[in-house]
Amino acid sequence: MTVSNTVDQYTVLTGDRSKIKDLLCNRLTECGWRDEVRLLCRNILMEKAVAGAVTSNSNLTLEQLITEVTPKARTLVPDAVKKELLMKIRTILTENETEGTDNHDDDEDDEDENGTEDN
Amino acid sequence: MSTTAAATTTTPSTMSNNQGQGQTTIPGTGTGTGAAKTTNRIINNFRALLKDPNNLDEAVNYLYRTLIDDATAGIFIETHHLRKTGNLAALDGLAEESAYRICEMPNLDIFGISTAKKPMDCTCPNCDRLVAAARFAPHLEKCMGMGRISSRIASRRLATKEGTSASSSSSSTYMHSGGDRGGGGGHHAGAGGTDDEDDVDWSSDKRKKKSTQSSRNNGSKKNNGKTF
Repeated sequence: MTVSNTVDQYTVLTGDRSKIKDLLCNRLTECGWRDEVRLLCRNILMEKAVAGAVTSNSNLTLEQLITEVTPKARTLVPDAVKKELLMKIRTILTENETEGTDNHDDDEDDEDENGTEDN
Repeated sequence: MSTTAAATTTTPSTMSNNQGQGQTTIPGTGTGTGAAKTTNRIINNFRALLKDPNNLDEAVNYLYRTLIDDATAGIFIETHHLRKTGNLAALDGLAEESAYRICEMPNLDIFGISTAKKPMDCTCPNCDRLVAAARFAPHLEKCMGMGRISSRIASRRLATKEGTSASSSSSSTYMHSGGDRGGGGGHHAGAGGTDDEDDVDWSSDKRKKKSTQSSRNNGSKKNNGKTF
């Protein structure tokens, strides 16, 4: 299993992904990144509309436009927000890892006892 | 730590229904379902993967990148949707037209027109004079003699005129008769004539005096026309 898949699965499972995503959205809105990106999107759409007015290809290549916008949007994120988010993600992933291993041992013992009781 | 432990313990319990205890790692017992096994597998994979620090960095960056991409895609779709429904231009609104801007200079009204008095003069059809527009109606009233006051003045003037002309004509007739009578009776006729003349003159004089005195108000209507 690839790293990306595993990470995605795990974070979705534990509900961490939504938590991190909410935090990121809040920070981005606070720092005005959202408005900047919106302006950027609008400008790109205008350019495409002017350039491709005769041929309505701009409507079809929606995904192409997104892929064009994404790297620019990535650079627009302020450093402070980026660092904060990276730190947060790292701590969440690592703490789950270490905590999980500890619990694993404890739970096993508990499980065995309970299992025997139930059975 | 404890809070995250609670979080990690509760969610798997919702995913796998047959678990009596909400705990993340449950060995594959007889009551364990396929879901529990998958959960465990995921978690174990993850933990194993994260032992390597390189992978941790990669994982962190990957997660960050995907989240940013999600946010960007969201914004883009929102803008695109606005554009398609035509609301994008509507949000901007119309640009302020320079021709319709409100003028705020000191002596001009909001349309930019000066507030000074405009020299609007009208020519009177009667006397052919230039009269100010505000004074046009009263002027016409006097000029054409159709108003209340002007008619009063006019009638008074007519009355005095009649009086004088009548007196002059009557005095001339009386003189003739006096002269004829003078030829016949002489003095008496003259005297009678002169008496009559005097009578007529006196009454007309009286009327004249009256009119001049009462109209001596120089056109002002204050104090009921009386001057002190």
